[in-house]
Amino acid sequence: MKTTKLYLGPQHPGITGNMMIELDVEGNKILKSKTHVGYLHRGFEKLMERRTYIQSFPIVCRICVPEPDVNENNYARAVEKLSGLEVPERAKWIRTMVLEMARLQSYLLWMGGQSGSMGLYTMPQWTIGDRDYLLDRFEELTGGRVYHLYVWPGGVRKDLPIGFKTRMLDLMDYLESRMKDYTKLMFENAIFKKRAIGTGVIPKDKALEWGVVGPVLRGTGIKHDVRIDEPYEIYDKLEFEVPTYEGGDIYSRALVRKFEFMQSISIIRQIMDKIPEGPIYNRIPNPFKWKIPKGYTYVKLESSRGEFGYFMASDGSEKLRRVNVRGPAYVHGISLLEKILPGSRLGDVSTILNSLGVCPPEMER
Amino acid sequence: MGFSKLTETKVLLKQYFKDIISIEEGGEQRLIIDLQSKDITSMINHLKDFMDFKHLSMISCVDWPEENKFEIVYILTSYSKNIVLMLKTKIDRKNPKLQSIMSLWPQAVTYEIELNEMFGVFFEGNDRMGEEFILEDWDDIPPMRRDFDSLEYANKNFKFRDERKDKKIIREFISEHYDEWRKK
Repeated sequence: MKTTKLYLGPQHPGITGNMMIELDVEGNKILKSKTHVGYLHRGFEKLMERRTYIQSFPIVCRICVPEPDVNENNYARAVEKLSGLEVPERAKWIRTMVLEMARLQSYLLWMGGQSGSMGLYTMPQWTIGDRDYLLDRFEELTGGRVYHLYVWPGGVRKDLPIGFKTRMLDLMDYLESRMKDYTKLMFENAIFKKRAIGTGVIPKDKALEWGVVGPVLRGTGIKHDVRIDEPYEIYDKLEFEVPTYEGGDIYSRALVRKFEFMQSISIIRQIMDKIPEGPIYNRIPNPFKWKIPKGYTYVKLESSRGEFGYFMASDGSEKLRRVNVRGPAYVHGISLLEKILPGSRLGDVSTILNSLGVCPPEMER
Repeated sequence: MGFSKLTETKVLLKQYFKDIISIEEGGEQRLIIDLQSKDITSMINHLKDFMDFKHLSMISCVDWPEENKFEIVYILTSYSKNIVLMLKTKIDRKNPKLQSIMSLWPQAVTYEIELNEMFGVFFEGNDRMGEEFILEDWDDIPPMRRDFDSLEYANKNFKFRDERKDKKIIREFISEHYDEWRKK
């Protein structure tokens, strides 16, 4: 059969952002794939070298659109590590809550994308709608719905509003009850199972070598989670389970995410229950004259798609020497995709992309 | 627990590699190691095969034009030891060359292509070196180098709108008055 070259993207409903996949196809079968990025390069890392530490802060949340809080938290922790700034206890609890809220909203977005890519269009309607309830809470807490600019070196910007706790717990009850519907419509759906089981398989013995992280790695049966391996903020004081499923296909990744969704709800309930009183931020020095000692640091956390790391080098001046962002999509979207796409069907490309959590803005920054 | 493994790794590495320039602890579960550029491949090989540093977190580069050096940083993670290693090596800025580690990790290719494009570091043995990754038809110096001035480039290539007549330099204004405002 004749081999055809097919360019999928950069504008395509099945692609999870602006990137292009160059495919060699034979009929319906993919022979070779190559990822091209560059459509969203904004030069953030370069821009941050020209700015003071606090001026760089509004930039970092733009690095990944569905997960701004992850970037804010990483940046804040990197600056704190380099400068030796302490964070009050209550701020750490609030930060953890924000991270888990971010995980929930990201999983809701993923559920919509994953089932939408299989033609189950009711799910996106539901999950995007439910995600808006979470965004309402974000708006109440931070003032912004998508970009929050909330986690700040030294703490968080504002305390919890009055009555926030009750509304948050109500929302958690609501999301938990919704999970039954999601399970019926998506996770136990015959079409979803048929298309997800055995598709986009990552072999267990290759997963670590290929740099797979996060729910995708746990979907192959290997249990690694930054929250447990290297507890940051207050994760060592919370009780939660990290699920693993054997198989390495889209379905096992979906089950991992489903389990983690419920765990996040339980974590937020624990935080709401145990959060201590106290100050929420430590004052930083005059940000225009704030010199940070020379040093290197690498901070990481578990985002909804895996290890999200920030490498930061400071040279003792008011400005950053270098910051480098390691998003999970940098590996998942380029080298891993080139490994697992060949052999699968053309119709499964967007399904696989969604299940890996590929987010182009963080590949290019 | 984490502390003892950190010290153990430190001692082991010191014993095995006599040529290490310096090795220090950079906070909890972090080791910062300075190496000569010729040792980097054998060190990474040893770390991956015998010391269980199986996960390549990232390859990064820091530019030090005042010393005329590029500093390449390899960040490796060991899941079993819970340690993150930062292997640093300084190479000449005029002729930046290093051995590729693409045979150890397939994803290293992407990092190396990006460093080649953004800093002009050449990785020997990477067959996809020189490929366009993010930039298209770039003819200036590699843009992440410190001596590439992004503001100057923007001024040269893009047109700005006319300024307002009543403008003042807000940044300096705030900086002068910041301390006195904060007292209020």
